[in-house]
Amino acid sequence: MNRLYKKTVGLTLLAGLFLGCGVAAAKEFLVGVEIPLTGSLARVGAGMNEGISVAVDIFNKTNGKHTIKTIVIDDESAPAKAIAAVEKLASQEVVAISGGYGSNNIAPASDAANKLGLPYITSGGVDDSLVARGYKTFFRINNTVGYQKAMVGLIDALKVKSASIVYSTKEATANLAKDVEKELTTKGFKVGMHAFDPAITDFKPIINKIKLQDKPEVILMCGYENDYVGILRAAKVLKPKVKAMIGVWSLATAKMAADFPDLMPWVYGTALLPFPAEFKTADGKLFAETYQKLYNKEPDYLGQFGYVQSLLLFEAIARAADNDTLHKGGVAEELRKTDRETLVGRVQFNDKGDNINFVHRMGQHQNGKIGIVWPSEAANAKPNFPAVPW
Amino acid sequence: MKTNASIWVLLLVAYGAIPLTLGSNHYVMSLLVAALVIGGIALAWALLGNLGGMVSFGHSAFFGVGAYVSALLTLKAGTPIVIAMLLGGVGALLASLVMLPVLRLRGPYFALAILAYAHIFKIIATEWTAVTGGSAGLSSIPRFPTAFGFDFSGKVGSYLIILSVVLIFALCYRLIRASDYGIALRAMHDSEDATRVIGVNSVLLKALMLFVSAFMTGVIGAFNAHYINFLEPDYAFNGLWVTLPIVAAIFGGYRTILGPLIGAVTVYLIDQLVFKSLIPYGHQLILGALLVAMILFSPSGLVPLLRASVRRNHAAG
Repeated sequence: MNRLYKKTVGLTLLAGLFLGCGVAAAKEFLVGVEIPLTGSLARVGAGMNEGISVAVDIFNKTNGKHTIKTIVIDDESAPAKAIAAVEKLASQEVVAISGGYGSNNIAPASDAANKLGLPYITSGGVDDSLVARGYKTFFRINNTVGYQKAMVGLIDALKVKSASIVYSTKEATANLAKDVEKELTTKGFKVGMHAFDPAITDFKPIINKIKLQDKPEVILMCGYENDYVGILRAAKVLKPKVKAMIGVWSLATAKMAADFPDLMPWVYGTALLPFPAEFKTADGKLFAETYQKLYNKEPDYLGQFGYVQSLLLFEAIARAADNDTLHKGGVAEELRKTDRETLVGRVQFNDKGDNINFVHRMGQHQNGKIGIVWPSEAANAKPNFPAVPW
Repeated sequence: MKTNASIWVLLLVAYGAIPLTLGSNHYVMSLLVAALVIGGIALAWALLGNLGGMVSFGHSAFFGVGAYVSALLTLKAGTPIVIAMLLGGVGALLASLVMLPVLRLRGPYFALAILAYAHIFKIIATEWTAVTGGSAGLSSIPRFPTAFGFDFSGKVGSYLIILSVVLIFALCYRLIRASDYGIALRAMHDSEDATRVIGVNSVLLKALMLFVSAFMTGVIGAFNAHYINFLEPDYAFNGLWVTLPIVAAIFGGYRTILGPLIGAVTVYLIDQLVFKSLIPYGHQLILGALLVAMILFSPSGLVPLLRASVRRNHAAG
């Protein structure tokens, strides 16, 4: 009897050991967040960071097995401090990094992460050179091509044939403007190009030139918030005979609608969400609910990008942990296998870490709200065209 | 004698103790590299102020030109990095040639004119797309090579390079100051007219100091380009490349040779390692308060304050 008992206990322990080897134990994983929370990129960095926090909250409640804890370091919008932040996070034994804003900060930070073998995922840099490096550890969910497709897609839908592009000489805006010009010219459009230094505030000379010389059907704006305000103010004074004012990021937002009610009516810009936000999927509803609970406000596009990039990373970490490949390059491998519908559309990474499916949406300021007007499958409103703020 | 001994101790710590004890801590090493970059510019800025009598707000022009010249030479012509860095310094020196007309100006007028030059160079870097890559910038700039079996692109390697560069510059500064030219330059501070009366070519001497300062800043800019591996006009010609070094130089004691270096390392490390741990977002507030306190209680900076303290202790002993 005693011998039988010992055998039974021994076999049970052995079976338990085998089973234990097959199933990884639930764990808390540390993820680094390197992000600008002060300096020139503080506003966009803070927006992305909110989305990352929402992703942590949702993942920890829904995964059921693993949990994530983040360590946030402010890179102060400076490349040298972004490198230092990544190295500090590595010394604190994070398994991957989410964050980064501005290609000049992301490039050296992701370079440092690559040297340390840490996967790095972002939505804050659209420079093509970031993916041209071909790092196996670098991933991003958005790119210039996605913005270009949205802008050109809307122009096609509006059936116009001439445009003037007013663009800031900053890297992301200049690249986008030139790519859009190239595509429109190939399609037979008449395109006028007008670069401006980011320091200028008076856009009347440019708008006057467009009004008197180019005489386009639409004006395209590639810039940032202050630039849009300057361009639209100048246009409101000079009233060029155009049918639409079309911009890109940071324009079709609730904040712009609230801050500049006289300048925004009928202006177009890239927008992932309508305002007030409407989510049709369960994932979207959960995101909006959690965002509202944590920050007591409507989610914006920065939060949405931060949320998606981080959730994809957390899921990859969990899969790598389950496969016992977490410290053998498994997180990057799992990220590369990603093929999933998200709040920014379907995400699949190519061998350079770029999201091959990224296409933005176009929104229009309509009576204090923002309607998604392109593409048709995501639209919740019809474009009011022709229409300008004056 | 005592000064020599302290310099040897400092060198031993910088070249021996720090790489051996902190070499594996990438975070601290990267902070030290960044601090020495600021320190190098602070040194060049202080040289122009002390010896040339000129306050510059435009050193970012030399930093940016040096960075671009070195990056482009290595990327497009395959020039070895060491030579490219020196040519980066030469490029900055050549850029300073166009600033010669403003040597006639003094005080705030000179400072503002040189600031305008920095902006002009930034616009050139942005618009000359075919060469500089325009606003998209230059990426994958070659790293420091492996030599004698040692990887200089690593943290310790980069630290040893920038440390050597700034110490060589400090030595050059010392030699210039101790030379006849240095004496003439210091005399010019008291009365430029009087020194001209006795035959000193003040314009030539001021121009030479501008060239030396520009060369030094250009080499530091070149180092930074190969260390960060990415360059774009906004970053290369950023105003921070002059404001931070000025703060560091004033904090450390811009009238001394080692003051700007010690100021940069102290300010940067205290800010990042201590203040940032206490207040992760907005730690610059404490740094600002510390700077105000330093200027109020020791306007000549940290190094003279430490020297006075050592002297007092010796006298008491």
